[in-house]
This record gives sequence, C-alpha cells and structure tokens, in this order.
Amino acid sequence: MMDLSEPTMDYSNLRRQITFMKKSFFDQGYLDEQFNQLEELQDESSPNFVEEVVALFLKDSPRLLSNIEQTIGKYPQDFYRLDSLVHQLKGSGSSIGAVRMKNECSVFKAHCNDRNLEGCRRSLQKMKREHATLKQKLESYFQLLRQVGPREHAVNSRK
Amino acid sequence: MASSLKALLVDDMSVERMVVSSMLRKFHCEITLAKNGKEAVDMFLEGNEFDIVVCDKDMPIMTGPEAIVKIRAMGATDVKIVGVSADDNAMEAFMGAGADDFVPKPVRPEILQPMVQEVINKK
Repeated sequence: MMDLSEPTMDYSNLRRQITFMKKSFFDQGYLDEQFNQLEELQDESSPNFVEEVVALFLKDSPRLLSNIEQTIGKYPQDFYRLDSLVHQLKGSGSSIGAVRMKNECSVFKAHCNDRNLEGCRRSLQKMKREHATLKQKLESYFQLLRQVGPREHAVNSRK
Repeated sequence: MASSLKALLVDDMSVERMVVSSMLRKFHCEITLAKNGKEAVDMFLEGNEFDIVVCDKDMPIMTGPEAIVKIRAMGATDVKIVGVSADDNAMEAFMGAGADDFVPKPVRPEILQPMVQEVINKK
C-alpha cells in the first residue's frame, strides 16, 4: 500500500502524468473552465464528485445520441424534436466543460434551424466521435487519479 | 453563512441537477429536487415552502416559465425564483413569467452565490 506521507518516485510520476494529461485536455480544446469549476466543488465530503458527475454524463449522453439518431431517421423530419434533444446534450456537456461536444451541438442546432438534414447527419457523426474520444480520455484520467489515492481526490487541482 | 435555506431545484437533466445541487449545498441550502415544472408546482400544491427556486427553462410536461406563472398565481410571491438556461432568449421568458433573476448556463457558483446570500440576508 502506498505511503502517501513520503511521496515515492512512482507517486510523483503519476502526479506529473495527471497534471500533464489534464493540461492536454485544455490545450487540445476538449475541456474548458467549467471542468475546473467542478473540481472547486469537490471536497472531503464529496471526494469523488467530479468523477461521479462525469460518469453520469457518460451514462446519459449515449441515450441522447441514440435518440437523436432515431429521430433523424424518422419521416417526416422533426427538427423541433431534434433541436430539443441536442439542446439537452449541449446543456449536459457544457455542465462538465465538454467544449468540443458543446460546440458541435451548436453546429447541429444551426443545421436544425436551416432544416438541413444532411448537415444534421454529418454533425451527429462528429458528435459521436467527440463523445467516444472524450470518454476514453476522461476514463484514463480518472483511472490515473484513482491510482494516486484519496489525497489527490480530496485536493482541488487547478490547471 | 449560518442559515439553512430551503431550495427547490428544477431541472430535467440529471447532470445539471447534480452540479447545481452541489453548489447549493456549499451555500448551506437544504435541497429538494424536481424533474420538471409540474413536479415543482406539485411541491407547492402539497404545501411545501421554499426560500429559493432555481429553475431550468425547457423541460418535458411543463416548462420553467409555465411553472413559475402557476407558482406565483398560487400566492407564492415571497419565494425568490431564479431562472437558468443556456437559451439566449430565456431571460425574457423567465422575467415575463415572474422570476426574480436569471443565470445563464452553465451555472457559475460566483453568480448564484450572491443571489442565495440576498435571500439569507432577508431572512
């Protein structure tokens, strides 16, 4: 069991990896300041808050993406319903700081406004790719965080 | 902040309920959740009292503004109602319905906190 009172080389390396990974999320535009806001809300009474919120997003968002896909396939097209579904996804995504997803949702909404079904289809494929990438990156990030243990979870880490 | 306010949080999205709940909890609020405007209205019909309502706009069954109109019509004129939305046109809809304030989404704690503090100061 790791003795966190005397940081080991492995622990220091892990912390460096975590810091670097998180910075890359911001630098590459996957996350924005809202993610830092979530970390500000995390404390000793809710040490896994950020991971729990992200897990909830990753649990709910596939259902929304699936509903969007089903609605695109319906005839006649229901752009009002599509806009409503994407609005939900945009809201949830922006709550966790998922800026690329949020931006693609805005593109999708613009296509809905223009009643451009082909545009909606293309945008949906992009949203699904962004979602898959974000999921993979955040799951790796939290896996690393769990390795450093409760001390890292309870301490706010800013960008 | 010593006082505990009774807050009603109304949002159909679970992620947003979780995030805003956490903020309100940090502001020492006792939180009740509703998933749409109708559930919020039902809370008031059942005789529950709240110091502050934080309410999303677009929800199934009953929207935020629709719920606010009904809540005010019931005589709940003292409760502070804050509308929240990512929709650019939401502020007008909320204020027209009888809300006291509006906060754009994603909700920032530094914007919500003074509104909560205002209610605490009045109490």
